[in-house]
Amino acid sequence: MIETGIIKLDDYLMGGIPNGKSLIYYTHPGVEGNVFGMQTLYHNLAAGMKCVFVASSSDPTMIIDTFKEFGWNLETYRENLIIVDAYSGLVGATSNEKYIVGDPENIDSLNETIEKVIEELDDKSVIMFESLSTIMDLCGEQKTLDAIKNWNTYGMLYEHVLIYNFTAWPYEPETLEHIKHNLFDAVITIGGIAERVIFGQYFGVLKAEWSDVKLKSMLFRVLRPGGIRIYIPKIVVTGPFDAGKSTFVHALSTRAVSVDRIGTTVALDHGHVDYKGFSADIFGTPGQERFDPIIKMLSGEAMGIFLVVDSTNTKDFVRAKQMLEITKAYGLPLVIIANKQDKSDALKPEEIRKHFNIPDSVKILPAIADKGVGVFEAFESLVNKITEVA
Amino acid sequence: MTDTINMLNKILDDTKKVGGVESAVIVSRDGLLITSNFPSSDSTRAETFAAMSATMLGAAETATTELGKGTPDRVIVESEHGKLIATGAGPKALLVVLTKLDAGLGLILVELEKAAEKIKKIL
Ligand SMILES: Nc1nc2c(ncn2[C@@H]2O[C@H](COP(=O)(O)OP(=O)(O)OP(=O)(O)O)[C@@H](O)[C@H]2O)c(=O)[nH]1
Ligand SMILES: [Mg+2]
Repeated sequence: MIETGIIKLDDYLMGGIPNGKSLIYYTHPGVEGNVFGMQTLYHNLAAGMKCVFVASSSDPTMIIDTFKEFGWNLETYRENLIIVDAYSGLVGATSNEKYIVGDPENIDSLNETIEKVIEELDDKSVIMFESLSTIMDLCGEQKTLDAIKNWNTYGMLYEHVLIYNFTAWPYEPETLEHIKHNLFDAVITIGGIAERVIFGQYFGVLKAEWSDVKLKSMLFRVLRPGGIRIYIPKIVVTGPFDAGKSTFVHALSTRAVSVDRIGTTVALDHGHVDYKGFSADIFGTPGQERFDPIIKMLSGEAMGIFLVVDSTNTKDFVRAKQMLEITKAYGLPLVIIANKQDKSDALKPEEIRKHFNIPDSVKILPAIADKGVGVFEAFESLVNKITEVA
Repeated sequence: MTDTINMLNKILDDTKKVGGVESAVIVSRDGLLITSNFPSSDSTRAETFAAMSATMLGAAETATTELGKGTPDRVIVESEHGKLIATGAGPKALLVVLTKLDAGLGLILVELEKAAEKIKKIL
């Protein structure tokens, strides 16, 4: 089994891709899907695996540069990386690679080289095709489909994992259907959405023969450097006056601004968090009742809610519950932050729970926001809830 | 303290004399109503109005300073029934006026600036 190296996708796939299986990243045009195969390749190189990169749209130097944009240095692992050069032959360039496809426009020439590589690999390896679409454009749809069948059979025999990057240009409908449903053991679809106001890119598992995890699509964004991050466009931080919401947003964020006047938030806090493969935008609300219209407005389209309470201030718990109504938090992923745990009269999370009529599945976590204590634990807990794999 | 309020009210009343101005409000930066010459029927709504004015000006100030464009002199909101103008009046307060739809802004802005300067000195 190898990992894809893409957060949450490995959970969907129940750990990753078993040896001998094939997986295609099926990308709709206009979406940044190529980075998926690249990230999987790099993740396995870094894990010490032997990897093969079948280059059909760029030469080896360009490939190394493209990986570098993401902060991935292929040269570090060069002895474990075989580049099958199916590009230089197209532009009449010379190549220093060991495996060169003489005529990239001829599927037999490509086929021959790939078979040879597979036979000569002495370990179970990861073989990644830079662009199946380019191969189809050069060699024809039907011929490529036949070749894929052959490569996947070879992969199965030698227990390699085969990864394909593919962009679903308007090919014959039967070709696309065949790719989506028959040819591969797993199909990851990558697309774009313009749903309500949030525009985003998502990925989802269309099929994975070895996994019975339910399909759920995930928003992502691509960072340079960094690669794929699960993207959470809006997490709302709410809670009564002076509970420590703004402090919490700042403690969590790599970058944050607050519209505070005379020590209180009059508009909002906004911060951006990049943590453990998650990229999230955080919106802190004011706490005082006169700002309720703003609180309501800010909490629209939230994907999850933090309710921050001052653990010493029980009389504000009623207001806290009211704020859960205002932000329509019931039904959304919710984590309650029992803040100001450094104070001697702070109630413990279990004691705070008695004041709230919430299901046990809602966590109440201790924090000292102004020292940054507990804030990332809380973040992880909430994003895991938001992205829970069913 | 009543003296202060009386002085502020005088400033508001003077502002109201400017052609086109319907009412004027002084709000603390954190969104509390300090004083207004709203018609009394509107007084309950004045609280929300005060808070949202502080929100608007605060958000506008942060938006422009984040871009390195300095602090805005004022926020002008034009609606179907008139205009709303919010301007900073020192670090503690802001001054908001509501005008008629057809009010000319030139004179109003000059008078607002003078009033804001006075408020700043009093608070
Ligand atoms: N002792 C202690 N003080 C804290 C902690 N977190 C925040 N504070 C303090 O609590 C006060 C309020 O913090 P804010 O972050 O402004 O609170 P808020 O919830 O954003 O307040 P509003 O926006 O006015 O509703 C500040 O003085 C903070 O320094 C904590 O964990 N322990
Ligand atoms: Mg705040």
